[in-house]
Amino acid sequence: MLVMQQLTKKFRTDDVETHALRDFNLNVNEGDFIAVTGPSGSGKTTFLTIAGLLEDFDSGSYQLDGESVQGLNDKALSRLRNEKIGFIFQSFNLIADLNLFDNVDLPLRYRGFNAAERKRRIEQSLELVGLQHRLKHLPTQLSGGQQQRVAIARALAGEPRFLLADEPTGNLDSQMAQSVMALLEQINQRGTTIVMVTHDSELAKRASRNLVIRDGRASEQVVNQRAVSQFASA
Amino acid sequence: MFSYYLRQSLISLKRNPILSLLMVMAIALGIAAAMTTITVNYLMSADPIPSKSDRLFYVQLDSWSADEPFLEPNQPPDQLTWRDATELMRAAKAERQSAMATSMMVIEPDVAQQKPFSASVRLAYSDFFPMFNVPFQYGQGWHSDADQSRQLVVVLSHDMNERLFGGENSVGQSLRMGGRLFQIVGVMQPWQPRPRFFDVTTGAFADMNDVYVPFLLKEALTLPNGGNNNCWKPLPDATFQAYLNSECISNQFWVELSDQQAVADYQRFLDNYVTEQKKLGRFPRPLNNHLSDVMSWMEKQQVVSDDAQIMMYMALMFLLVCLLNTVALLLAKFLGKTPEIALRRALGANRRQLMQQHVLETACIGIAGGVLGLVLTWLGLLGVERLYQGNLKDLTQLDLPLLGMGMLLALVAAILAGLYPTWRACAIAPAGQLKTQ
Repeated sequence: MLVMQQLTKKFRTDDVETHALRDFNLNVNEGDFIAVTGPSGSGKTTFLTIAGLLEDFDSGSYQLDGESVQGLNDKALSRLRNEKIGFIFQSFNLIADLNLFDNVDLPLRYRGFNAAERKRRIEQSLELVGLQHRLKHLPTQLSGGQQQRVAIARALAGEPRFLLADEPTGNLDSQMAQSVMALLEQINQRGTTIVMVTHDSELAKRASRNLVIRDGRASEQVVNQRAVSQFASA
Repeated sequence: MFSYYLRQSLISLKRNPILSLLMVMAIALGIAAAMTTITVNYLMSADPIPSKSDRLFYVQLDSWSADEPFLEPNQPPDQLTWRDATELMRAAKAERQSAMATSMMVIEPDVAQQKPFSASVRLAYSDFFPMFNVPFQYGQGWHSDADQSRQLVVVLSHDMNERLFGGENSVGQSLRMGGRLFQIVGVMQPWQPRPRFFDVTTGAFADMNDVYVPFLLKEALTLPNGGNNNCWKPLPDATFQAYLNSECISNQFWVELSDQQAVADYQRFLDNYVTEQKKLGRFPRPLNNHLSDVMSWMEKQQVVSDDAQIMMYMALMFLLVCLLNTVALLLAKFLGKTPEIALRRALGANRRQLMQQHVLETACIGIAGGVLGLVLTWLGLLGVERLYQGNLKDLTQLDLPLLGMGMLLALVAAILAGLYPTWRACAIAPAGQLKTQ
């Protein structure tokens, strides 16, 4: 589903060149729940933004759902991102002056669904995260855990095949973190592939695969029997 | 998506109300300054008689002194002598022609409650009315016979008929003017061409005359001059007849010529006339006779003053400064929105969609700035009118095309001001923004 081969990404300043990813290989299968861990600056977020088509890479190849993303223009990349990928961020990234309905509506607007279809999807995804009764509330009227649930509902509303989560529990207390993690597991069990960057080793253990990134290279630790990837480290 | 973008734009504007207000004010002030001066210039330079402005010609004959031109560089006088005006009328070489002059007469109303008052008089020939498309409410202009026979007939302006007869049809009634009874033959509809092209010598934006009588009554009734009078040669004596026969200029002369051939023929006629007059010892200067159509005559007479044009250019520069301020404010606003833009990119918006949304947001600012700007323009025009103490009355009115132009100017200005900030904000790398949240 998501195949990266020999992927390289460098950041350059005036006199310093930093390898964020080097010879990065990964094969994500349908239904995987991959936890990505690693020390700060190891390239986790860079991997996630490249996987989410928000950043370009220097060399190597990347196929998303069988389609090479190399050379695609902005419109095509945006369409792919909209249809196939859902994002969850550490700081929720809800728009403060839009109510929950309008926040969840965001990706659907760019998808071109009609009003009835958008309403159905918004209500369905907010129901999934248990917030269907707070459609007209503003994000500031919710707790952190509830805000992250709204962000998850927004990511799910377009029914993407991949969910990319960057420290989704990083801003939550442990109880809320457990609750959000349980929700992600539930979503994964319904068939959505999840790639989650986290610093929390306990949460990482609950994923089917554990990917560790160090110095821009990936290595995998099999943590339970659900791991099915054909991982090949460079 | 238009309604969605519009709703998002309004939400965005409400998010920073002070910043939004500053941008709207910047555009409004620029538009107000520009539109105030554009309005005055536009109305000053408007074609006052578009249906035939290219067929009406003002006549100038260089009857001035041999020692110096009437105006540098070598400009002929802007009026004719009585002798030349009446001679050209007698020749009647044009399709229509009218000599004109102005005077004052005392009107003695029949109504006891009204006291006698002084009225401005335009002396003209019967062709004046059809030549200048004068609209009539009652009756019509006098017949051409009345010109030569110097009949005591009068056409009233709409306002004068209101004043004397309460707006009733007064045609056929008598009016005592200057101690004589005139028969009213026509009453004009409200008529106020701007500029008052047929006589700019007493002010292109001055009020219209109260009454209109046959030109030759000036001689018959020894009516005084009401407008400008310039002489370069001393009068032999102080009699009225000596004045009429002098080289003093106080009369305007217009002809209607249907095509270029007619213009060329009339020019030839004028040159021949002056050549003949030279044999009588008049017209000491070289041949310098001009025929100017309406718009050329307005230009020659500098109806749109240099001051007004300079003010307009300065106001446009001020608009530019306001727009540069708006660019800076928009840049601050849109760069502050980059996290939201990055989020929308992550959720599937392409750059073009985000550009459209932000262009619409700047258009909303432009429309709000335009509306406020037009209100300020209206106040500015009131100020201009007060400043000139009514001399620019009717030049300080916004008509529908000007309102449309103001809104369009505001809209285009705002969108242009928003292009760079929009491009900068939408060109951000979303990954960088999302990382820094």
